Amino acid sequence: MLATHREPSADLRARFEAVVLPHLDRLLAFAIRRSDSVADAEDAVQEACVRAWLGFGDLRDDANARPWFYRILRTVLSDAREKSGRRQQLVHITRLEETHDELLGGERDALFSEVVARLDSEAVHRALAEIPEDFATAVELHDIDGFKYIEIADIVGVPIGTVMSRIARGRKLLAGAILAARRDGAADATEVVDVGARRAMRGGLR
Amino acid sequence: MSDNQSPLTTRANPADEAVRESRHQVLRELLGAYADRELPPETTAQIDAHLIGCVQCRRELEVHDTIRGRLAAEPPAATSPALRARIASALDAIPAPVVEVAPPAVASDISHRRITWIAIAGWVTALVLAIALAMQGERVQERLGGTREIATPIHSVALLDGVLGDYDRVAAGELPGRARDLSAVRAAVSFPIEPLQAANLRLVGAWTTELRGEPAAVLAYRLDDRLVVQYLVAEDAFFRAPAVRAAVADRHLLTASVGERSIVAWPDASTGTVLVGDVPARQLRDIWITERLH
Repeated sequence: MLATHREPSADLRARFEAVVLPHLDRLLAFAIRRSDSVADAEDAVQEACVRAWLGFGDLRDDANARPWFYRILRTVLSDAREKSGRRQQLVHITRLEETHDELLGGERDALFSEVVARLDSEAVHRALAEIPEDFATAVELHDIDGFKYIEIADIVGVPIGTVMSRIARGRKLLAGAILAARRDGAADATEVVDVGARRAMRGGLR
Repeated sequence: MSDNQSPLTTRANPADEAVRESRHQVLRELLGAYADRELPPETTAQIDAHLIGCVQCRRELEVHDTIRGRLAAEPPAATSPALRARIASALDAIPAPVVEVAPPAVASDISHRRITWIAIAGWVTALVLAIALAMQGERVQERLGGTREIATPIHSVALLDGVLGDYDRVAAGELPGRARDLSAVRAAVSFPIEPLQAANLRLVGAWTTELRGEPAAVLAYRLDDRLVVQYLVAEDAFFRAPAVRAAVADRHLLTASVGERSIVAWPDASTGTVLVGDVPARQLRDIWITERLH
């Protein structure tokens, strides 16, 4: 049997802070997109840190700290969701896919890039919240957090083919959600103009 | 994809069109991974070539690039000093975990004798596994019937003729059910729908149709780079033709072929499946075997 020794606790804490804590900002952003409030997201990140510290012995390779930490955070967020009984609002996937397909069939792809480029973070988060959680998670882990497909497969616990499919379909749904929101916004603006015109007309008739 | 043909492309025969379309659908599903440079070089080269002549795929690729580019610009959140302090306090309150650190493995720690025994144990394990698999194979053969070619011309059997006609239409055009809303299909028919389980199959579409007036669920799969379509019908519709009943008797798999198009069919508890694709019959039979083993 091979002899082992215990890592001194001071060294261990220093190593934890060096390999885990640098990822806090990204993890907090990931948690914010999945929480009702920043305070809830901060609680989740704190809980993830505690669980990571308790299970630090399980991390065999410091190079894998980031995906390992995300996996823990996902579990914490999932636990919190179960506890609060929150359920994601059902989205009309078919509608989003049809909107995406209209985009491909139309002549307005240049306009789409402009629309997307002008989106602020709040609009991006709203669009991500419109699509199913599994798709949004895969897309975010790749496009925002910069993970490779193989790492996402490890974090989410699904085969890499599923990751590939979720990212491809997630982006299509996201495009559909962005366009649908833009249309709804345009419709709202038209309604405001109509109401204004009607009010003016009523005023004129008095 | 017909509206996306290069002007230089001459009108091909329907079979070529069908192959081209199914290839387009397969490559289209891979565009996200292509945009992310996650595909092997040979697949990347195939998509490079496909993109030259396919406007629709070029547009879809732009959507992937646009979305990815925007999301990549999302800033991280700023962890407040207060949260960092809270985390530090929380960690301070917990005893440090015990982490056993193993010294680097030394080759001489393991003697040649031990290596020999490990190797022998590996061989023995492999041998035992091989015997077990062979025994399991015999049991599998008992559970599976053989294959049986249908005795009458396919086009004389309404169900199979309807399937072939529908498959022609599907292979020649867009998959009608790209929404892939399996739950909607389940809600639309009176019999249970379960996608096929084979590991090399990927469900790419689901919709409903009618085969000679009979409601049918249609599940389209990608099998390697080919399209395979499963038609599910109620058992009474499946068993209506005597030739079908005769072919699937004694747990046999009905087989048939038209040119390079292969067809297999089998009944389940309350449905019947007809599987069709431009693939060797052996591949469809393997799918059936996987189903039976499940």
